[in-house]
Amino acid sequence: MGGMKVFEKIRNLAEKDFNEYLDAEKQKGRKIIGYFCSYVPEEILHAAGFVPYRMRAVGSGSTARGDVYFASLNCTFVRHCFSKALEGDFAFLEGVVFMNGCDHTRRMYDNWRHARLAPSYLHMFTAPHLINPLALDHFEGELQKFKKSLEDHFGLIITPESLIESMQVYNRKRALLAEISSIRKDPAVPIKGSEFLALMLAVTAQPVEEAVTLLEEVREACRGRRTAREGDLRIFLSAGCVEEISHLELIEECGGAVVADNLCMGSRHYDALTDASQPPLRALAERYLTHLSCPRMMNDFRRRLKYMADVREGYAVDAVIAEKLKFCDLWGGEIFLYRQESKKRDFPLLTLERELYGGGTGQIRTRLQAFFEQIRNRRTIAGDPVRSDSSNEVRH
Amino acid sequence: MAFGKNGKPLREFHMLKLSRTLLYLIYFLSKTPRLATVLLYLLRPLYVPVRETFLNKKFRYGLLTFGAGLLSPDVLKAYGYGARAIIDNINEVIRNAREGRPIVWVEWILNPEMLDAFDVTSFNSAILNVFGNAYGAEGPYSLIEEAEKFGVPVEYCSAMKLDMGAYITGQIPRPALTIAGSHPCDTNVSITQSFEYLLGVPSFIFDVPYWKDGYSYEYFEKQVWEQIDFLEKNLGRKIDWDRLRDMLERLNKFNYYLSEICEMQRATPCPGTHFNLLFAWVVRELNVRSPHAIKMTEALYRAVKKRYDRGKGVVKKEKIRVLLWFPPIAFFTYLFKWMEHEFGAVVVADFIGNVSTVQIDTSSKESMIRDFAVTQMHLAMGRQCHGPAEFITDEMVSYIDGYSVDCMIFTGHQGCKHGWAAAKIIQDTCKKKNLPALYLSIDIMDQRHLDEQGVRNQITEFFRSHGWVE
Ligand code: SF4
Ligand code: SF4
Repeated sequence: MGGMKVFEKIRNLAEKDFNEYLDAEKQKGRKIIGYFCSYVPEEILHAAGFVPYRMRAVGSGSTARGDVYFASLNCTFVRHCFSKALEGDFAFLEGVVFMNGCDHTRRMYDNWRHARLAPSYLHMFTAPHLINPLALDHFEGELQKFKKSLEDHFGLIITPESLIESMQVYNRKRALLAEISSIRKDPAVPIKGSEFLALMLAVTAQPVEEAVTLLEEVREACRGRRTAREGDLRIFLSAGCVEEISHLELIEECGGAVVADNLCMGSRHYDALTDASQPPLRALAERYLTHLSCPRMMNDFRRRLKYMADVREGYAVDAVIAEKLKFCDLWGGEIFLYRQESKKRDFPLLTLERELYGGGTGQIRTRLQAFFEQIRNRRTIAGDPVRSDSSNEVRH
Repeated sequence: MAFGKNGKPLREFHMLKLSRTLLYLIYFLSKTPRLATVLLYLLRPLYVPVRETFLNKKFRYGLLTFGAGLLSPDVLKAYGYGARAIIDNINEVIRNAREGRPIVWVEWILNPEMLDAFDVTSFNSAILNVFGNAYGAEGPYSLIEEAEKFGVPVEYCSAMKLDMGAYITGQIPRPALTIAGSHPCDTNVSITQSFEYLLGVPSFIFDVPYWKDGYSYEYFEKQVWEQIDFLEKNLGRKIDWDRLRDMLERLNKFNYYLSEICEMQRATPCPGTHFNLLFAWVVRELNVRSPHAIKMTEALYRAVKKRYDRGKGVVKKEKIRVLLWFPPIAFFTYLFKWMEHEFGAVVVADFIGNVSTVQIDTSSKESMIRDFAVTQMHLAMGRQCHGPAEFITDEMVSYIDGYSVDCMIFTGHQGCKHGWAAAKIIQDTCKKKNLPALYLSIDIMDQRHLDEQGVRNQITEFFRSHGWVE
């Protein structure tokens, strides 16, 4: 497939919640299971013969229906997703796996049951808030429970062999994603941040086998490609449930090139491979517990910080943009810590607070332009660090 | 830091010391409870009908909290013991800070009993959540504002913003170690990391499991063993198992008395003011280690039992039995006595004061740690908020059914996002039970959102609209 074509195809897939690949699998009788959060082990679903589908708010027109169950103090990602669920947009799913990722998402499991929404398989998967040997043992038990609940509900057996096969194919997918992401180290930035987000949306709504093929095509299409423009600033983007391609395009329009990230739909999804030499559930527990964490993990901030520092260096990052959706305590706290670090280590940081699909583009554009301008000026005026402060907040 | 007289920074521990003064006042009044009750009653015109003024602001909150002359003398006496337990902790903490001796912060849903086995001073950084009001209404919200100015996320639960404000303004001491947990909510998950970053001291974090089943209890139990290792390593001393046994035996008694009071609250008329249980919870949080804590619960138990045996209620004519659901309003602790006095409305059960626990088997180290782990996981707010919505609604329904409740007042606290996300489930549960309910939209720490008068107005209107009062 030609370079442009593959990116069009990705864009097309990313903009829909249901696509031809899923449809084809359904026709074949394969079940599609939705899951929230990058801590849910897709391999177990895959080994059970299902297509794991990353839940998303893509295509949601409003939060109105979800607002009957959630309050205005709840995150818009959750309100959009739940609205879609009430609209029947997820009718193609045969199961949903929830996660205790944050206070908003965990209540989705409660409201879903309360609203008596289909499908019949609803599972609350929980992950520890710590990374240590005891938590790892506990988490392995959680994986075991998850596996058993699938087996009991659907009347099947998930064999160690099928788990190993799934681990291999998911490792392949992750390795390809990591490889494609890392080519953004190249000053030519062969794939834009917005395209990479679209790619993430596409490959988390496809059977993994198809995703691997698509990723191989993308890798080819990136060879010799250049998206960078003169004067673009290289950006590290850190945030939670960001899924709007248009938002990344806005950053790009303003002169930023997102070359690395710590997003749910980004590096957290593909960071770290499973170790095939270990017993499958142990290997999965280890990979999922220790992959690049999000702020729900309480004893891992230093590692997240180190990741950011390494990426800033390795990817020649000019500035960091950290975002949170309104009322998200977890990312709010992370940004508070980023600010402390930005002051200490003197790196440019812009913090944005927004609502998912919430508009306010004009205001964000102004903030981005002003921030980028500051960085460019900083390059010419020595000793004038661009630091964040609370005035760097976009509220709308 | 900014607030204080004429914009000058507050002196170190100023609010802590003010809290201590208030508690001393209660402690001394409780020495002659009859006289004190009469005195407090006679002085009511100075602080009860009027709002907070320049003249009464330093004592109004304290005197209202301790019943404004409406508590029976035996209950006031019991509160004196509780006040003493907290005073002892404050004194020890201030002394340690001065002398450079270690203080261990223990988060508010993890009680400090374990620290007793190491003979080290424990401190609950949330102390000013309640007693910060001794400074006047602006005490708590000024601390919240300081935290927000410092960059702490505005959407955090104000209870924890207040802790941060207290720390950065030097109102609470710096710890040598901290003990925290992943419950009950995201604010705690998040702010624990901020404290860890700012304090730079070793911290032990409990990963509190989502469910309450054998597998989860076992996980928590293993963490208690790890906590012991952590304390041994960082304090450079061994655990004293005899001290732990003694502490847990006292805890058993403490919990026994409170559980009995909860049981008696089921009676009609209700024999005790529910604030007893709330105050006991505060004492438990701050210094259950003190011998005065147990004296308090024993005295409270006796006071309630006396009425219960005689079939007497806390009010002469009980008209409305209220379930207060969700965190209590920290700045309006007089709510209980006010509703009793004004309307004959008695809170019979609530989210925080009601005790749900197990007796700890102290026959071996293993049994102690196993059961202690369970008691920790069952502490109020942690047990309901950290888990599926059923943890909130099942307990709520058990009170609706078991306490002959006429209505529910829901204190919908601003920062409590998971609470708001469960609000419809809670509302529908009430509807199903045909229970009239008032849903307050409030910030339990910050009365700029809805103040005391606003709460009074809404409750009055609610009672009137149901024809329960004139
Ligand atoms: S953005 Fe924050 S509040 Fe929203 S779902 Fe993600 S973690 Fe939860
Ligand atoms: S009131 Fe809600 S938000 Fe505040 S600490 Fe409790 S559970 Fe957390």
